[in-house]
Amino acid sequence: MNATKILDAKGLACPMPIVKTKKMIEELQSGDILEIHATDKGAKNDLAAWVKSTGHELLESSEDNGLFKFWIKKG
Amino acid sequence: MSNKVAIIASNGSLFDAYKVFNIATASAATDAEVGIFFTFEGLNLIHKEGNQHLPLPEGKEHFQEGFKAAQVPSIDELIVMAKDLGVKFIACQMTMDVMNVKKEDLIYGIDVGGAVTFLDFAKDANVNLTF
Repeated sequence: MNATKILDAKGLACPMPIVKTKKMIEELQSGDILEIHATDKGAKNDLAAWVKSTGHELLESSEDNGLFKFWIKKG
Repeated sequence: MSNKVAIIASNGSLFDAYKVFNIATASAATDAEVGIFFTFEGLNLIHKEGNQHLPLPEGKEHFQEGFKAAQVPSIDELIVMAKDLGVKFIACQMTMDVMNVKKEDLIYGIDVGGAVTFLDFAKDANVNLTF
């Protein structure tokens, strides 16, 4: 997937992945895609809940050996 | 969708600091308007010196290492984040008078107010939390 920007949130604990995601998505235009890398196991549910409340869209997510990746489209 | 979160912080341990500032920053990052009322021991969380030495609850001191291992952000970092995200901090005037705390003793960029100042903020909040 073609991401406009990539956020490296590896090693960060709650609530930092969400806070950093919020910060970075502010810099993007509507329709842009933000790719997020995280190791916080709570990030999966948190990001799903976060897009619901903020009007963005979680396009895809993956997990590989403790590394979570998410693709969020800015609403 | 408007979302407003009103938090009362009335305890002063390191655990309390994380409970308060994690929820506050997470809410603010989720586009909520957030206000925290710091009262009684909660004032410790925004006391310039006090919040550098927040105690762990008695018998729980060993969790200090857990905080390091889990790479949780420091309280200072969370406070900077919270402010940056527009979280409103209100220090309880009455507690300050009782404990002889001056506004200069508290971190920069907070408001001082009474119960009604907070209640006015909280009256139309859809999430109300007390720690």
